[in-house]
Amino acid sequence: MKKLLVILLAALMLVSVVACGTGTNEPAEPGDKATQAPAAEQGKVFNIYAWNEEFKGFFEKYYKVPEGVTVNWIINPSDNGVYQQKLDEALLNQANAPTDEKIDMFLAEADYIGKYVDSDYTMDISTIGYKNAPTMYEYTIKAASDTKGVCKGVSFQCCPAAVIYRKSIAKDVLGTDVPEEVQAAIDSWEKFDAVAAQAKEKGYYMTASFAETFRAFSNNCTKPWVDENNNIQFDDQITAWIDQTDNFIKNGYTLTAGVWDQEKTNQMFADGKTMCFFGPAWYYNFSMTNAMDPEAGCAGDWCIVKGPQAYFWGGTWLLAAAGSDNAEMLKDIFETFTVNTEVLEKMVKDDNQYVNNTDVVKKFAEDPEYGNTAILDGQNDIAVFYELAKDIKWENHTNYDQILNEGLQNKLQEYYNGSVDKDTAMKNFYAYVKEQYANLVVPEN
Amino acid sequence: MNDNTKGRIQLIFLRVVVYSILVFLSLLCIFFFYLMVVNATRSNAELAKGFTLIPSGNFFTNLKNAWNDSSINIPRGMLNSLIIALATAVLTTYFSALTAYGVHVYDFKGKKLVFTFIMAIMMIPAQVSALGFVQLMNKLHLNNSFIPLIIPGIAAPVVFFYMKQYMESVLPLDVINAARVDGSSEFRTFNTIVLPMIKPAIAVQMIFSFVSSWNNYFVPALLLDKAELKTVPIMIAQLRSADYSKFDMGKVYMFILLAILPVLITYIILSKSIIKGVTSGSVKG
Amino acid sequence: MKDQLKPGKLKSVSYAKWGYIFIIPFFVVYIGFTLIPQFLTLYNSLFENYRVGLNQIGPNYVGLENYKALFTAQSDGTILILKYTANTMIMWLMGAVPQFVIALLLAVFFTSARLNIKGQGFFKTVIYMPNLIMAAAFSMLIFTLFSKVGPIQLFLEQQGIIDHSFDFFAYRISVRSMVAFMNFLMWFGNTTIVLMAGIMGIDQSIFESATIDGANAWKVFFRITLPLLMPIFVYCLITAMIGGIQMFDVPQVLTKGNGLPNETTRTLVMYLNGYLGGKNYGMAGAISVIIFIMTGVLGGVVYKMLSAQYKEKTSAPKYHRKLQRGKEA
Repeated sequence: MKKLLVILLAALMLVSVVACGTGTNEPAEPGDKATQAPAAEQGKVFNIYAWNEEFKGFFEKYYKVPEGVTVNWIINPSDNGVYQQKLDEALLNQANAPTDEKIDMFLAEADYIGKYVDSDYTMDISTIGYKNAPTMYEYTIKAASDTKGVCKGVSFQCCPAAVIYRKSIAKDVLGTDVPEEVQAAIDSWEKFDAVAAQAKEKGYYMTASFAETFRAFSNNCTKPWVDENNNIQFDDQITAWIDQTDNFIKNGYTLTAGVWDQEKTNQMFADGKTMCFFGPAWYYNFSMTNAMDPEAGCAGDWCIVKGPQAYFWGGTWLLAAAGSDNAEMLKDIFETFTVNTEVLEKMVKDDNQYVNNTDVVKKFAEDPEYGNTAILDGQNDIAVFYELAKDIKWENHTNYDQILNEGLQNKLQEYYNGSVDKDTAMKNFYAYVKEQYANLVVPEN
Repeated sequence: MNDNTKGRIQLIFLRVVVYSILVFLSLLCIFFFYLMVVNATRSNAELAKGFTLIPSGNFFTNLKNAWNDSSINIPRGMLNSLIIALATAVLTTYFSALTAYGVHVYDFKGKKLVFTFIMAIMMIPAQVSALGFVQLMNKLHLNNSFIPLIIPGIAAPVVFFYMKQYMESVLPLDVINAARVDGSSEFRTFNTIVLPMIKPAIAVQMIFSFVSSWNNYFVPALLLDKAELKTVPIMIAQLRSADYSKFDMGKVYMFILLAILPVLITYIILSKSIIKGVTSGSVKG
Repeated sequence: MKDQLKPGKLKSVSYAKWGYIFIIPFFVVYIGFTLIPQFLTLYNSLFENYRVGLNQIGPNYVGLENYKALFTAQSDGTILILKYTANTMIMWLMGAVPQFVIALLLAVFFTSARLNIKGQGFFKTVIYMPNLIMAAAFSMLIFTLFSKVGPIQLFLEQQGIIDHSFDFFAYRISVRSMVAFMNFLMWFGNTTIVLMAGIMGIDQSIFESATIDGANAWKVFFRITLPLLMPIFVYCLITAMIGGIQMFDVPQVLTKGNGLPNETTRTLVMYLNGYLGGKNYGMAGAISVIIFIMTGVLGGVVYKMLSAQYKEKTSAPKYHRKLQRGKEA
């Protein structure tokens, strides 16, 4: 009987080794059936991978799906990297997937778009007959292009970001709530820090999250997070953010909440005590719902200004997946959200989007009648963003940005709320990075 | 007399203490269910503003929002969860009983080894094989399918062990022999005579495997990503983290309530027989 | 079939093949869906195999390098996997000790003829209920209760006991307590009912004769109930320990996967989950194997206990019948 067991086990080992042999992940070859001529027969199913509902809303509102085509949304949350894990799995499997299950289009954020653009899993959009419009912001094209300059997708929005301030609190702290004067008071980080001290004296917080100003610094970095030898490096901007935050926390100018924590979003209610929030158009139109709450909110008590440093934050790109059999529809979608002025104007007017079309936004920027009343006091935010957007550059990005940006914030949050000292926080950060990307070299500590 | 009074006072005192402990623990257990129900009646703004034990009036608004959510199709999710959980429950109990019966009733070579083997693997956590499991299922193109969520239920060592213990206490071999004399085939004996005899054990294990399958998140989250296949726990995870723009906590709590309700109701209806089943059939000391 | 059925030859031996047939489905499924994946996991642990973006690194055979990496100390001397093992065990103990004490107490209360508890059905139903709630949903509730804008923090601030800079999630003891409390609440009902079954299985006449001999309640509990309950108690304990090693959902959701504070609530499976997410199949495989070995050791103990019990039962039908009668009485 023991013999039987031994034989059984041996057989199992064999089976599993054979299974492993075929089971290892050979990189798929998406190039095979990738780029189909636009004239080819179009697929009946259009699969879109996304991490939330934002674009889905616009898609369903403004894009007319061709008859006979079913659109499948595959939505996975981006928390803990789930979205990318699922997307990667599907892309690696793209070559073997049945035609109707192949990804046609997927969404990507600024923090990791390079990972997909620089791969064979996305397709050159000029092969489907899409030409980059001259009205698109240059940086959105650069972000969606690989190292050889081949463009793989488009962005439907442009994301210059601003300081969103509470008028009533600014009035109390600075004696004015006029955008020009507020801007003059906070047009450098030194001045911003000084106003924070004033706000504190009046019983206010300058910002509601220790990481509120992170993007304003990090998107102005002069060197990438990771150098060519895979070493992690801290840019002066990141160091400056840490110094500022140390100071803010020490003096109680801000809260220890994370950017998305409830403690921070509660500060957007009318009884909140926070003067400034940092974000682009998509941020205050979609993530400041507390401020727009009909009972407890304070819509109309807000204005935007450039703040200490111009920056951009986020943005959603639509990438064409290699292997898609819906070239015509892809081209159609791209055009709808980049050059169809009728749709884009509606998106500005009805959805308060800052769209990726300089003609359209210029029109609104110069329109004295236009103003945002959903949350702002009727200020023409498009005009502010129009100026800010001119300076946006796409540089120093790496494919590791998301993990590094989020990891740094998460681990430092523990330092700021007093659970660990700074060295430990950094040590935890490096351990986390190593867990996610075994190839990166972290400083000895 | 004196002793008797002393004893009675002692007993009354003891009872007060015991009932207090029981009431306290029961309140603790109920509190979280109550909290969930209350939260499901409150609007997002109310939830953000603070905490209360008094229900508010947003129950039906939340219900409507949750039920009609365009991307998180809760009726569909409940149907998926129901299919998986029900199939798992049926397969797990039936085949565990079958396996236990095979080991309990028949004498065959290696019987002890089989029993030993199952006892040994009972302790291996599912996460240990998760990596290989997902790899294998992807290779077989069984991701986005209910098969890898249902079929493994056939081999459930813990349920097997429970069934085996139960059979030892309630299943006399004479009954089986009598059935054989009557000319019943082995399968028929099992299906028509043995199964009815172990009904309480089956009921208990059905509900337990139903609940654990209904609440399972780890493996389904690794395997399913098509919208039409998602189960309730995946939807809740998605809802919580997906969209800061339409972040409505009232709706989130309503989803959780909807997710727990079917299990809770089934449990309360069956609780008497379940507890009886656990008490009479569980491992004997 | 019928031909074999001769009177006097009704030994179950002649039906041996049915034993094999009946256990086939179990083993086929077990091998296909569990054993092979386990071997795959083991196999993976011997390779450098991870992804950078969409580029696959490896698999390259590296022998035991992944295990070596797991047990390499950081500069300050901590070996992460041991730290996480300790976290897991500490949090498990913090929940399991009250779980077993309370469960044992309740089991004695419920079975005590002297106390004669009314409404047992209600209490038993209710204490089992937390087991039905999704661990993730439960953690979410606890999180909102203790968050910086949660009711408990607000109340304590109003009372002037703490100021706003206080954060429940900044203290090891408070986060671990939350995890332990949740595990306690979810499982004490289950343990109570199983232990109760054990007590009811003890021959009532033993209690009767003990009482006649003048033993008091304490003596009965420590000299009779507890020793006779030992096998089932140990069974509960070890299955709970195995469950403890698998601890994942509760701390994961409660700390949003961060193991707050300072990785002191990161469990073994959370560690594994991190590598799975990073697609580092080599390291994830190695951690799985370590967990497997740990449970293997515990499993061996359980097996020893249970097989002893199994033998006793099959060889002592009289004892068994006596138990039955005891229960009916």
